[in-house]
Amino acid sequence: MEDLIEILEELQPEVDYETTENLIDGRYLDSLTILALVSEIEDKFGVEIPTVEIIPNNFNSAKKIWSLIERLREE
Amino acid sequence: MSYFNSLYLFLILPIIVIIYNLIPKGRRYYLLFVNLVFYFIIGNKLIIYLLLTILSVFLCGKLMNKYDNEKETLLKKENDRTLVNGKIKKKRKLVLLLCVLLNVGFLFTFKYLNFFSSNINLLFELLPINCVINVPQILAPIGISFYTLTAFSYIIDVYNNKIEASNSFVKVALFISFFTQIIEGPFTRFSETADDLYNAKKTTYDMFCSGYERILYGLFKKIVVADRVNILVELIFNNYTTYTGAGVLLGVIGYVIVLYMDFSGTMDVVCGTGELFGVKMPENFRQPFFSKNVSEFWTRWHISLGSWFRDYIYYPLSLSKPLKKLTVKSRKVLGNHYGPLISGTIALFVVWFLNGLWHGAGYTFLFFGMYHFVLIATGNFMNPIIIKICNYLHINRKNIFYRVFQSIKLTCLVIIGELFFRANTLKDAFAMFSRIFTKFNLTNTNFLEIGLDVYDYVILLLSILFLFVIGLMKEKGINVREKLNSKKTWIKWTILYLFILIIIIFGAYGPGYVPVDPIYADF
Repeated sequence: MEDLIEILEELQPEVDYETTENLIDGRYLDSLTILALVSEIEDKFGVEIPTVEIIPNNFNSAKKIWSLIERLREE
Repeated sequence: MSYFNSLYLFLILPIIVIIYNLIPKGRRYYLLFVNLVFYFIIGNKLIIYLLLTILSVFLCGKLMNKYDNEKETLLKKENDRTLVNGKIKKKRKLVLLLCVLLNVGFLFTFKYLNFFSSNINLLFELLPINCVINVPQILAPIGISFYTLTAFSYIIDVYNNKIEASNSFVKVALFISFFTQIIEGPFTRFSETADDLYNAKKTTYDMFCSGYERILYGLFKKIVVADRVNILVELIFNNYTTYTGAGVLLGVIGYVIVLYMDFSGTMDVVCGTGELFGVKMPENFRQPFFSKNVSEFWTRWHISLGSWFRDYIYYPLSLSKPLKKLTVKSRKVLGNHYGPLISGTIALFVVWFLNGLWHGAGYTFLFFGMYHFVLIATGNFMNPIIIKICNYLHINRKNIFYRVFQSIKLTCLVIIGELFFRANTLKDAFAMFSRIFTKFNLTNTNFLEIGLDVYDYVILLLSILFLFVIGLMKEKGINVREKLNSKKTWIKWTILYLFILIIIIFGAYGPGYVPVDPIYADF
């Protein structure tokens, strides 16, 4: 989780990732940041994120992104 | 056919709802019957293409399901999960491809064949090659661009295992053919509306009131505002050479108002009608003119089309293997912002090319698409630079003055885009655009001689102010209808009767007024 927050802070530093729960709906992360985030996550955590998983519900908070990574790791 | 037809709204629709509620069982079949009769009335024999689309996605979905179910049997035989998964994926991909090809074929034949063949003929003429492709003028099934994309969303979601293929033809047919959305959308996803349509709940008193409140709100936008401004727009766009640049500018601003009020008003009627049948439709507009930039504007205007392109074109393309590799490489060289920009921009180009083409087979629409591509791509490129400049000049980007400046800039950019969208030809669009700057001549422009009088301007001003306040309340998270419905019955009904009275008294109908044709029905 700490690694993920580090990635997020590097990509978009102006957000408090511990508390923000509307990263997509609140437009904190735009589509370009999502592209960078996906490639960084895949690189760092060795998972492949299918495009069907790129929905606000999976990316609206750091916790949700982390759950997605864990789920993809298990699959 | 317009959803604003008073006979439809206040006689046919209530009758449909009353019969729907009188039926004790099988309301879903009745609703499907209504959908098909409605489409037959507006589309006549062309209903066959709608039925073929529904049947094709239903059967292809079932076929994909069948392949999935064969997995266990194949695993027992082959004992190699990767191999079996690969085989099944291949078969499913083939089914998807065939289904998409068939429906793209319909769409292309009806909507784009003439445009492409006339361009090829033009090319032959220029080369010169003595050959002419003769394509007869074909009447396209109404709403084909809407129901085809809706059908695609179903089959792609099944392919991606996002939803399970439905075993019920009625459910799939209800989802694709719902009469209130088939002409102008919004695009819905199977997971959003199919269950509500299939469950076909009875209409409660609250659902009926809430639905008709929404319909009235849409009616106000259309009859009081859009139809009134339409006179001026038609006059100016069809005879722009007789008006000064100031007059042309007024016409273009007028068109933006007409387009917004007509389309968002239609969506109010569509969503309100959905509520009468217990179907919650997704919102298609969210105060677009409060956006900070063009990119945000398109997440608030025609939202369902934007999200369709995002989910089925933008992300699958920008996250495809070659573009993903490109992102990884370019990020190392160009950093976190400019790295993903290259693959993002390639995908963005495809999205806006298709978006322009979706709106219509014509150069004005292609230009409209490319115009927005350039604006959004430039915005993406400039964003970090603008932030740096603002920080350097100590400009607070959350400051109200900066936000107002952003809104004005955005409105100007939208107005230019819509000029190209509405103009009769691309040549006219450029001529009108240049006229605004070269022959502005404000002092020689009599705004009272362009179809509207002082009475019209006053009504428009007050109406837009009213809609602005409602928009502002929505933006602040206030649910206006919930507020209204929580009032005492007599207060609520007094407000509603007053609103109806306002629409009747100040509506722009009758001699001298030309109602706006449903603009998006042509797409």
